Amino acid sequence: MTAIGRNEVLHVARLAALEVPEAELPQLVEQLQRIVAMVDQLAEVEVAGAPPFQAGPDAAQLRQDALAPEPLAAPPASFAPGFADGFFAVPRHAAMEEE
Amino acid sequence: VTPHDIARDTGARLQEADARGLNATLAWSQPQLDTEAARLDEMQATAPLFGMPVAIKDNIVTTDLPTTCASRILEGYRSPFEATAVERLRAAGAIIACKTNLDEFAMGSSTENSAFGPTCNPSAADRIPGGSSGGSAAAVAAGMVPVSLGSDTGGSIRQPSSHCGVVGLKPTYGRVSRYGLVAFGSSLDQIGPIAYDVRDIGTMLEVLSSPDERDSTCGLRPFVNDPGLYTQGVRGMRIGLPREYFGEGLSAGVRSALDRLIAGLKDAGATTVEVSLPNVGYAVAAYYIICTAEASSNLARYDGVKYGHRTGEDSTLDDLYTATREEGFGAEVKRRIMIGTYVLSSGYYDAYYLKAARVRTLITNDFNKAFASCDVILSPVTPTPAFRIGEKTSDPLQMYLTDIYTVSANLAGIPGISVPCGITEKLPVGAQFMAPQWQEALLLRTGSSAQQLIR
Repeated sequence: MTAIGRNEVLHVARLAALEVPEAELPQLVEQLQRIVAMVDQLAEVEVAGAPPFQAGPDAAQLRQDALAPEPLAAPPASFAPGFADGFFAVPRHAAMEEE
Repeated sequence: VTPHDIARDTGARLQEADARGLNATLAWSQPQLDTEAARLDEMQATAPLFGMPVAIKDNIVTTDLPTTCASRILEGYRSPFEATAVERLRAAGAIIACKTNLDEFAMGSSTENSAFGPTCNPSAADRIPGGSSGGSAAAVAAGMVPVSLGSDTGGSIRQPSSHCGVVGLKPTYGRVSRYGLVAFGSSLDQIGPIAYDVRDIGTMLEVLSSPDERDSTCGLRPFVNDPGLYTQGVRGMRIGLPREYFGEGLSAGVRSALDRLIAGLKDAGATTVEVSLPNVGYAVAAYYIICTAEASSNLARYDGVKYGHRTGEDSTLDDLYTATREEGFGAEVKRRIMIGTYVLSSGYYDAYYLKAARVRTLITNDFNKAFASCDVILSPVTPTPAFRIGEKTSDPLQMYLTDIYTVSANLAGIPGISVPCGITEKLPVGAQFMAPQWQEALLLRTGSSAQQLIR
């Protein structure tokens, strides 16, 4: 359906927040080309009239939209690195310090 | 025998297997086993799993043992909540014995993608145990525990069960709560039991299956384990043989083991019917679009902020995310995230994900038509017996193609069981039975008969 090359692989890596070391790039491009060629065989399937599959039982149960205690083994303050006023606190990032 | 005796015995078995280099476990301790036994002091001995040691695949969260998904990105992570499946096992009197090795985030067919090294096949140390629930299958096959939990997204319970010579059930999608199963392909994932004996599979399924409001896809279909299933036999049953599954690519050894089983089932009073699943030739392609797309979304949460590993290289927030993920994920996980990102990216969604979702409907329709003329479908689980460790690691596409007989059940949401049916090249071979949605009872009935024929 489409050729996937070096630039496409680097673009997808950026979208996925992944790095591809230069040394690994040729092999990864070759592997992804072969995998994409395999999945491209779906282009030949005639799907007119077939709706997209929906996973799950027909009668999925939705729970009441009501607040309930979280099923935690211990309160968040006991396992989070930082927890205050109902919020998880994460380490301040260096980029924020400069602002 | 008391639960305390069982806890000590289990510890000795786990220690012996670890010392032998099986590498089936990722976490366990004798004090934790003793605590489990002490918990049972307050419980009635009539509980369905009272004193039964159960190994848990390490992508199912537990509060008292770490959950790593065999990934560096979650190394040392301890969940603040328990998976529903584990809660139910404990409530039924089980002893949670250990966490077991797997392909990282359940992505693989050999357990070689674990960040903590491959598990060996108990039948032959130089062979893979299958995957991704390779540790759970090997633990049962090696006699470390009588039962274990695995998860099955494209065959990850059935394929290692086949390679290790044990029984493994992928239940109907929605039968067992996925709450606390670390998400890989959410529309495909299902927790299920692995055991040495089909009867234990039924006991486990009854404990595991009931509605859970924390998983809206977990339906109102509790499974009732009827002891009569295991003595009913197969007389009068119609067993469908899909012509697409017995052709090219199936090794002669696997084929002849299946042929012997088919002959035995016929002798026991079953009839066989040839059926056709015309679109299953596209199942691997549809599966690797859907599972990678869902994985790329599910694994976006591992960014160094909320869970596990966090890089030291973080001059900007983007660097923090990228370097954390680069350091934390293994090659196969990164490959699948990239394929999934590609098929979901702008301009490609309709051609890939939407098309695969429609092909999934066609495959489901094929099964529905086939089940109009048979009660269960019999097929291979894998094209060959367990291959050598390292044999396919350089060629991911070849590895994907080994899933050819198992992914269709996940795409259609139907149950499938792998039952040992013979030996080839001194390695176990399994047979797969598949049934319509919610008909696990048929699988236990035919699986039990197959087990008796082989033994």
